[in-house]
Amino acid sequence: MPSSPSAHQILDRNGSPTSDRPWIFRTYAGHTNVHASNQLYKQNMEAGQTGLSIAFDLPTQCGYDADHPLAKSEVGKVGVPIHSLDDMHTLFDAIPLEQTNTSMTINGTSMWLLALYIALAQERGVSVSSLRGTTQNDIVKEYLARGTYLFPPDAHFRIIAEMYEYCLLHLPQWNAANICSYHLQEAGATPAQEVAFALSTAIGVLDLLRQRRQIPENDFGQVVERISFFVNSGIRFVEEICKMRAFAELWDEITLSRYHVQDPQHRRFRYGVQVNSLGLTEQQPENNAWRILIEALGVTLSRKARCRALQLPAWNEALSLPRPWDQQWSLRLQQILAYETDLLEYPDIFDGSPVIQSKTDAIKAEAQKEIEQILGIGGVHAAIQSGYMKSALVRSMAARISRIQRGEQIVVGVNRWTETLPSPLMSDQDSGLFRVDPLAANETLALLKQTRLQRSPEKVQSALRSLQEAARNGQNMMPASIQCALARVTTGEWADALRGVFGEYRAATGIEGQTLSLEEDRRRPLQDRVHALTERLGHRPRMLVGKPGLDGHSNGAEIIAVTARHLGFDVIYAGIRLSPDDIVQSAIEESADIIGLSILSGSHIEITQQIMEGLRDAGAADAIPVVMGGILPQQDHPILRSLGVRALFTPADGDLLAIFDTILHLLEASSPEPPTTHADRTEQE
Amino acid sequence: MHTHPSTYDTERLIQGAWQHDKWSIARLISLFEDTRPHAAQYRHDVLSALQTNTQARCAAFIGLTGTPGAGKSSLIAALLPRLLAHPSHLHIAVLAIDPSSPLTGGAVLGDRIRVRLPSKEKRCFFRSQSSDQDLGGLSRKTFQVCRLLYWLFDLVLIETVGIGQSEVSIRHAADRVYLLLSPLAGDEIQFIKAGIMEIPDAFVLHKADAPAANATYHTLQATLGLLRPPQAPSPALYRTSIHTQEGLDALAAEITAYRPPPLHASMHQREAYAFQRWLLDEYGQQALRCLSAQQTNPTAYLRTQPSFEHAQLAFDAQFWSWAASSCVSHNDTNASHTPTHPSASLPPRTSEPPR
Repeated sequence: MPSSPSAHQILDRNGSPTSDRPWIFRTYAGHTNVHASNQLYKQNMEAGQTGLSIAFDLPTQCGYDADHPLAKSEVGKVGVPIHSLDDMHTLFDAIPLEQTNTSMTINGTSMWLLALYIALAQERGVSVSSLRGTTQNDIVKEYLARGTYLFPPDAHFRIIAEMYEYCLLHLPQWNAANICSYHLQEAGATPAQEVAFALSTAIGVLDLLRQRRQIPENDFGQVVERISFFVNSGIRFVEEICKMRAFAELWDEITLSRYHVQDPQHRRFRYGVQVNSLGLTEQQPENNAWRILIEALGVTLSRKARCRALQLPAWNEALSLPRPWDQQWSLRLQQILAYETDLLEYPDIFDGSPVIQSKTDAIKAEAQKEIEQILGIGGVHAAIQSGYMKSALVRSMAARISRIQRGEQIVVGVNRWTETLPSPLMSDQDSGLFRVDPLAANETLALLKQTRLQRSPEKVQSALRSLQEAARNGQNMMPASIQCALARVTTGEWADALRGVFGEYRAATGIEGQTLSLEEDRRRPLQDRVHALTERLGHRPRMLVGKPGLDGHSNGAEIIAVTARHLGFDVIYAGIRLSPDDIVQSAIEESADIIGLSILSGSHIEITQQIMEGLRDAGAADAIPVVMGGILPQQDHPILRSLGVRALFTPADGDLLAIFDTILHLLEASSPEPPTTHADRTEQE
Repeated sequence: MHTHPSTYDTERLIQGAWQHDKWSIARLISLFEDTRPHAAQYRHDVLSALQTNTQARCAAFIGLTGTPGAGKSSLIAALLPRLLAHPSHLHIAVLAIDPSSPLTGGAVLGDRIRVRLPSKEKRCFFRSQSSDQDLGGLSRKTFQVCRLLYWLFDLVLIETVGIGQSEVSIRHAADRVYLLLSPLAGDEIQFIKAGIMEIPDAFVLHKADAPAANATYHTLQATLGLLRPPQAPSPALYRTSIHTQEGLDALAAEITAYRPPPLHASMHQREAYAFQRWLLDEYGQQALRCLSAQQTNPTAYLRTQPSFEHAQLAFDAQFWSWAASSCVSHNDTNASHTPTHPSASLPPRTSEPPR
C-alpha cells in the first residue's frame, strides 16, 4: 500500500515513491593512437563511466590522412586518429557495440565516421538497428567557432539531412546530429545568444528536412525527437538553470507551432552537457575543481531541465590535455552527485519560484527576438554566409574580455586574490601534465600503410567513384560511404573525393569592424608608441596573426587581431588551418614586422620547428620575430625559446594591453634609430 | 639585429628580385611604401637599375573592383591557377587593398584568408595593403608599389573595394578595369548604373549560379550598351561562378590575351595622375595655379623632367620663387607659411617631401 503522495516525491507508475535514474556519465577521451585509446575506454568503463565519448584528432576531424602536410604535427594530439575500418576494429576491441551508447565529437567528417561505425557493426555481425549514440554533426558552430568544416555550408547541410533520412530508416536510436550551443558560449555568446543560435540551427536542419520531402509526414515527430542538443554550463549557475528551462520551453513551443509535432514526448528538449572550459584558469588551477562542481549543478539541479548526459572537463585543462587520473577525479564528482546526494529523489525543486520563472522568461524573450532576427536574415544558413552570427559572437567575446580587463567581472586568482601558496598538485613527477608521445604517431602511420597495402585498389577506386556519383546526382551518400568503409577507403580519400565535388570553403572571420573597449588611459600610451614606431619604420607595424595546424579554435587569434588593429597595427590575419609553409610565405610576402601564432592543439613544438626552418630558408629568420600564444605548458617554454620564439603568452596572460606592451618592446628593440637624412648620408660618404 | 634597416641594400635586393626571391621582392615593396624622407633616393636608385635591365617584364595592370562581398578574392583565387598555367609562364603579382579604420588608422588585411595561394610558387606573389585612411579604396602607396611591380611582373592584379571614388582611382592605376557585380534585384541595378558603370572596361557577373543571376545578366546586357557613346563598343560582360566553374577559363584567357599600351605609355599616364594627386595633397590648388601661370600643366611639367622624383624636387625648389611672384598674389592668404618652409633654406633636395 503506497503512502499518500507528497509534493516532494517522485512517483512511479504504481504510485510508489521512486527516484530518477542518473544521467549518462561520460568522459571526452581519446589520444595517441587506436591502441592507447581502446585501453583508456576499457579503463574508464571499469571506473563506472556509462557512455563513450570519443575525441578524434584534428586530421580525422578535418578529413586528412596522417601523412598529409597539414596533418603531420597533429596526429593523435587532441584525440584518436582514425583512418579506416581496420582502425575501428582496434578502437572498439572488446567493447560490445550493442550495449554501448557512443557519442562521437565529429562534424565535418560525421557521415564518414558513422559509415565506419555501421560497417564495423556489419563485419562484427551486430544488428545495425541496435546501434545507439550520437554524431555531433553541428556544422554551424564549426563555421562560427571550431573550424573543422570541409565544404561550403550547402554541402554540409545536405550531409546532415541525408544522415537523418538514413538513420530514420536504419538506425532509429541514433542521434544524427547534436546541436551545439556549447562552443557558442566558449566563443563568447551570452545565454540568450546561446539559446537563439542553437535553436536557429535546429530550425535550419528541420526546415531543410521538411523541404527535401524525403521523410514521411507521419514520421516527422520521430525525427524531431532525434534532434538532441549539446549545451555549455557556465559559472553563473542560477542563470544557467534558467537558460536550460528557457531552452526546454522554447523547444517545446517551436516544435509544436512550427512543425506541428503532437506527441509531447517528441517535443522534449534532450541535451548533453560539457561544462565550461573557457572559464577554467591557468592561475591557481586547483580552483577549477570548484568551478566544475558548481557548473555541474547548473545542469542537474532542475529536474525539468536536467541533462541526459554529462561530461566534465578536468581541473588542469587550461594547462594541457588531462591525464587519466584527472579525468577520473571529474568522473567521481558525477558519481557523488548522483549516488551520494539525494538530488535524484525529488521532482523539480524550482517549480513555482517567481525568481526563476521571471529570469527564464527574460532569457526566452531575448532569445526569441534574436531567433526572429536570424530567420529574418534568411535563417541560420544566410546568417553564417553573411558573417552576422560570427560578428555577434566576436563582439560578445570582446565585451567579456573588456569586463575582465576592467575588473568588472571577478575571476578569482586572475584579477582578484592572485597571491597563492605553491600547489602540491603541480609538483608531481610529470608536473601535473599529460603529454602525447611524439613517436606514437609512427604507429598510426604504419597502420595506415598496412591498410593501404592490404586492400584491393580496384574496390577502393570503384567505391570512391560511386561516392562521387552519389554526391553529384543528389543521391543519399550514406550507402556509398558504407561501401567505401568496407573497401578500406581512408579518411583522407573519402574527404578528398567529396572535396572534388563540393569544393573547399573558408569562412568569414567576423573581425572586420570590431573594436575592443580597452581602458583609455592604458591604451593611449600604447597607441602613441605604435605611432612613434610607424615614424621610425616608415610604415605601420605589420603583424601577421595566424593559426598553424588544424586546430580551429580561433577566438584567441581573433581577439589579438582586433586589439592590434585597434592600437594602429596593420594586421594581416592569415586565418585558420594553415601549414607552416603557408605562414612563412605570408610573413615573407607581406614583409611582416612580427608573427603572432596561436596554438591550442599541443603541437606547438613541431610547428615552431617547421616555421623557424622556413624563415631561415627564406633568409628572414633574424628579421621577423615570432611570438606565440595558446595552451603552452611552462616546461615547454625553454624549448620554444631555444627554437627562437621571442615571447610566449598563455591563458594566464589575460591582459591584452600587457601582451601588446611586450610585443611593442620587441619591435622597438629591433627597429632602427630614426634614419639619417640623405644629406647626412652623403656627407658621411 | 635590425628588423628594418634604415638603409636598404638595394643592389642585393634587386639581384634577389630578378631571381624571384620573395623576401627580396617583399623588402623592395616595403621600400616603395616607406614614408621616411630618405627612402625616395633609394626608390630612384632601384627604378634606374630596373628599367635598364633586359629582364624587365613591363606588367599589364588589371584592376578588380566591386562591393564588399562581391567575391573579388574568391575570383582571384580561382583565376590564379589558370593564369599561372598560361604557356608563357607569366609572373603574377596580386595587390589586395583593404580599408583602414578611420579612427585608429589600423587595418585588418584579411584577403589572404580567402585566397588559397599556391604554396612555394615563385611566379606568384601576394601582397596586402591598407588604404591608409584614403577613403575610396586605393592606397597612396599603391601607385608607388605599382611602379616597382611594373618591372618585375608580367601581370599585376589590383583588388580594391569599390565604393564611389575608388572606381576613378583604379581607372588611373590599372590598364584594364573589371567591375564585379553580384546578382541583384532590379532596383539595385538602376542604382548602380547611374554612377560607376561608366568606368570599367568589362563587367563580371560573379556568383552566376545564384537564383537571381539570369535576370541580372539580361538586365545588365540590356543596359550596358546604353551607358557608352553610340559609336563605342559595348563593354564585355562575363558570367563567372566558383561553384560551377562557369566562365573562369574565358575570363582568364581574356586577361592573358590583353596587351597593355606600348612603351610604358600607361606608366607615364599613371605617373602624371599620381603627380597631380601629390601636388593637390601637398600644395593644393595653389600649385596648379603656379604651373598654369608658367604656361604648363602637371602632365607637361612632368615630361620636362627626367623622372617622377626629379619633377617633385624641381617643383619643390621652384615653387617658392614662383609663389613669391604675382601668380598667386591674389590668393596668398597663407603668407606666414612661405618663409618657414624648411626647403627654402635647404640645399637642393634629393628626397620626397613627407607623404
